[in-house]
Amino acid sequence: MTNILIALVVLLVIAALVQLTRVSELLAELKNEDVNEVTDSDNQTQGFLYLVVGMGFIVFVVWQMFEWNHLLLPEASSIHGAKIDVLMQFTMTMILVVFFILTPMLFYFAYRYRGNKKKTAYFFAHSNKLELIWTVIPTIVLTGVIIFGLKTWDETMNVDTSEAKIIEVYSEQFKWTARSSGEDNKLGNSNFKLVTAENAIGVDMQDQNSLDDKLLREVHLVVGEPVLLKFRSRDVIHSAFLPHFRVQMNCVPGLITQFAFTPTKTTKQMKQKEGEDFEYVLLCNKICGAAHYNMQMSFIVETQEEYDAWIASKKTLSEKLLTQK
Amino acid sequence: MNLIQNRSLKQLLWIGIGSIIMFFAGLTSAYVVRKPQGNWVEFVLPDWFLYSTITIITSSLLLFAAKKRIYLPKESFKLLFGTFFLGIIFSYFQFRGWQELTSQGVFLTGEGSNVSGSFLYVITLAHIIHLIGGLIAILITAIKTRKGKYSPNDCLGFDLTSIYWHFVGLLWIYLFFFLKYF
Amino acid sequence: MSDHHKETFITKYIFSQDHKMIAKQFLITGMIMAVLGMIMSAVFRVQLANPGESSILYTLLPGSWVNEMGALNPDKYLALVTMHGTILVFWVLTAGLSGTFANFLIPLQIGARDMASGFINMLSYWFFFIATIVLVSSIYVQGGPASGGWTIYPPLSALPQAIPGSGTGMTLWLVSITLFVVGSLLGGLNYIVTILNLRTKGMSMQRMPLTIWALLVTAILGVLSFPVLLSCGLLLIFDRSFGTSFYLSDIIVNGEMLHNMGGSPILFEHLFWFLGHPEVYIILLPALGIISEVISVNSRKPIFGYKAMVVSILVIGFLSFIVWGHHMFMTGMNPFLGSVFTFTTLLIAIPSAVKVFNYLATLWRANIRFTPAMLFAIAGVSAFITGGLTGLILGDSALDINVHDTYFVVGHFHIVMGLSAIYGMLAGVYHWFPKMYGRMMNKNLGYLHFWATFICAYGVFFPMHFLGLAGLPRRYYTNTAFPMFDGLSNINDIITFFALAGAIVQTLFLFNFFYSIFKGTKASQNPWKSNSLEWTTPVERIHGNWPGELPTVHRWAYDYSKPGAEDDFVLQTEPLKEGEEEH
Repeated sequence: MTNILIALVVLLVIAALVQLTRVSELLAELKNEDVNEVTDSDNQTQGFLYLVVGMGFIVFVVWQMFEWNHLLLPEASSIHGAKIDVLMQFTMTMILVVFFILTPMLFYFAYRYRGNKKKTAYFFAHSNKLELIWTVIPTIVLTGVIIFGLKTWDETMNVDTSEAKIIEVYSEQFKWTARSSGEDNKLGNSNFKLVTAENAIGVDMQDQNSLDDKLLREVHLVVGEPVLLKFRSRDVIHSAFLPHFRVQMNCVPGLITQFAFTPTKTTKQMKQKEGEDFEYVLLCNKICGAAHYNMQMSFIVETQEEYDAWIASKKTLSEKLLTQK
Repeated sequence: MNLIQNRSLKQLLWIGIGSIIMFFAGLTSAYVVRKPQGNWVEFVLPDWFLYSTITIITSSLLLFAAKKRIYLPKESFKLLFGTFFLGIIFSYFQFRGWQELTSQGVFLTGEGSNVSGSFLYVITLAHIIHLIGGLIAILITAIKTRKGKYSPNDCLGFDLTSIYWHFVGLLWIYLFFFLKYF
Repeated sequence: MSDHHKETFITKYIFSQDHKMIAKQFLITGMIMAVLGMIMSAVFRVQLANPGESSILYTLLPGSWVNEMGALNPDKYLALVTMHGTILVFWVLTAGLSGTFANFLIPLQIGARDMASGFINMLSYWFFFIATIVLVSSIYVQGGPASGGWTIYPPLSALPQAIPGSGTGMTLWLVSITLFVVGSLLGGLNYIVTILNLRTKGMSMQRMPLTIWALLVTAILGVLSFPVLLSCGLLLIFDRSFGTSFYLSDIIVNGEMLHNMGGSPILFEHLFWFLGHPEVYIILLPALGIISEVISVNSRKPIFGYKAMVVSILVIGFLSFIVWGHHMFMTGMNPFLGSVFTFTTLLIAIPSAVKVFNYLATLWRANIRFTPAMLFAIAGVSAFITGGLTGLILGDSALDINVHDTYFVVGHFHIVMGLSAIYGMLAGVYHWFPKMYGRMMNKNLGYLHFWATFICAYGVFFPMHFLGLAGLPRRYYTNTAFPMFDGLSNINDIITFFALAGAIVQTLFLFNFFYSIFKGTKASQNPWKSNSLEWTTPVERIHGNWPGELPTVHRWAYDYSKPGAEDDFVLQTEPLKEGEEEH
């Protein structure tokens, strides 16, 4: 019933608009004017509007920057993350400078050069010098951005992982499971064909390296110690996103991907700065099905002692899977 | 039909051929990327595909001859029909090639199949579908030739069919060498 | 080719081979699909603002899409997002933009009677039409339409067990896109051949309007990149329906262990994005071409740096083929490859910057006439600046780590496509409406439409950058699952408000468009006092475009306010005066 009423209202509004438009056109005809001709006064108004609304847009952008700055992610909690943040500051500053120069210029030009019948435009069709200037300068700037970017990328991707603690992160619709590589720091092999109800992520228990691996429902990391996360997926593409660490890597069924980083701030430290509710968290960042929005796992960064106490309390896979037969 | 139209329609065909080339470029680059990633079962390409290659080359030769004889409709028609017939033989040889592959244990899909086989079947299948389009064109052209619709100065339809058929042949030669040696 | 066959209703309006009619067919179909896509976005924006609640808007959806409480089902949220993306990227911004303006403008602006092949042109529309029917019908099948994102990555898009929409809905999506691509290719072939062969006497390539250059390069991009989408889709069809393992391997889904071994979803991504990236330039270039034209005519000044603009279009077109990996930085690809793609992607910023500066220089010391088209064209430049700049962050692989697949990228691509390209399209409609329908659109409604849209659109998409920098991923049914996003609900509310307001505002445009077709004031011969050839054809439009001889061209299209000329414009057909130099 409501739908019918809504439809009727819409029709009435349309009918009203038709009449209003028709009336304005007829009135103009009576005055012998062309209702659709763009007059000098139109140009004045529209030019002025571009200035005002344009500036309003600039103000809106600045307002957003101030109003919402506190909502952005805190400083990175990893070594490479800090470098990425520096690159981000640099690049963001650069694009903001360009934005705040070019956008007002565009709106100002729209206003300043609003036309009227008495004026003539300046017939200026090309200038090789100008083209050179505004090709060369962006090229130089972009070269700087590229070099800085590639350097940061290299420092992020090509890290020494020989000392890193290896932890597997296994993704599926719709949860995460982690596996610590245990004392030997070697992850046992896995195969999806070995998945059973007890061996939920398909670890090959014949592999010696698997015996001391531990399945975890949250990940603890030692502050200042490098970690190498290895990613697998059970079903579709997921993506492991750890925004506070500036870590993201797709989890692809059939492949093992990885990302190495070193956390630099403990969860306790972050709680002091950001509030008691703070948690490091792992999200899924590649569309993976209905509950894509709710794949969560906690990451906790702590001291070596805290970590040792915690990991000691976790059962190894050999304890869980082999001794309970 | 005037010269500009002639040229335009030929260019339309050439650009369409460019698109078809990009389609097969997509398939063959997928093959190139996938192969070194492992789990790739090698197999020997049955000789049937060599026979079909020779057949399609011969069919193009017949088509060339048909064009040369275009002022003699009945002769031209015979040669065109030869082209059509060899096109059918080509298809038969492809089919025999697939048969032999399955007897060798190389399947498109299912138990015991490997992606190397899947690629072969998909690529050759895609080719033969384009070839069937060419066969239809050859048939129509043959009928029109028999009825005397073409002359050396006015044979746009004939030319368009020829260009397409020679392309399908050249495409097969590329695919054959690619699948055999890559 | 100006054979005057007897026209029936069918041959004039349905199976027309006249490029002008075909253009309008593309336009109307594109507009209808735009309304559909926009309604979808209104629906999912409402879910984001009021998560888990019911809404009157959901009554527009098939019944099975909401649960007993009236809330939208999460997988149907993804279906809406997928179809919204598919419809807007392909149906509206590719077919609706290129299909309309390439068809309409090419023969008119180069001085040809019609396209090289009217028949193939007609086929291109009807393939598109059937593709549309198939796509829309997929909304109503059991399991719903495709729901794996418009980027349809397998395994999600290959497995109905992973999400219902990947069943029949996805099959129909693939059928539809195949038909769509064939239609696009048929169109593109025509555009290229017509531009190369059917230019009238005196219309050298250097005298062509920039719109035509843009449409030419766009068509070349399409002809080379769309077929790769077909090969990509063919392999997906085999994986979905014939059990092959091109993209699938090591999968257990819904408790079922699948037999597929050896496939790689990353292979899909390479093939998909090989089209996917040129696709966004296929969307953008025609819009920029239209913007160039509209800005020049309404500034009463030549477009600044015509040659540089042509070179930029060519360079952007070429570079667009070698940047696709920037969509795949987070796939675990070899870091060196990541570096290569960062390099090529940031390079594209150079010709883009050149274009922006040339637009600014065109406006400098101009005599601007603010038609609604001009308002949209200038806004298109603003959006290109804003959206292009955020592209520099996304294209930088190290920075992409934290913004990939967040609302930051959603903001970026909506501003370049949803603002800049759509503004270009709207500018084109307002500008060429008199030529299409022989009548004028209402100016005041146009002004109202523009300002409301401009304000709402930036209101929707600019805040998204902050959501992204706060770490909020895209394609999330709700943002309430993670406490870290609790502070963002205000921003979401603002975005939804502007989205709904913006959607409602578009009705002004739709009303103006359809009203003016029937009741608009009659257009004069050359209402914008433009130089290009289309304005020398009769207002009522005839088959074959010009009665009698085709025009001869003596100059380029941009002699506006030329010193020594009588008027502030000089038609391309005007011979050079004694001692006058051609620019």
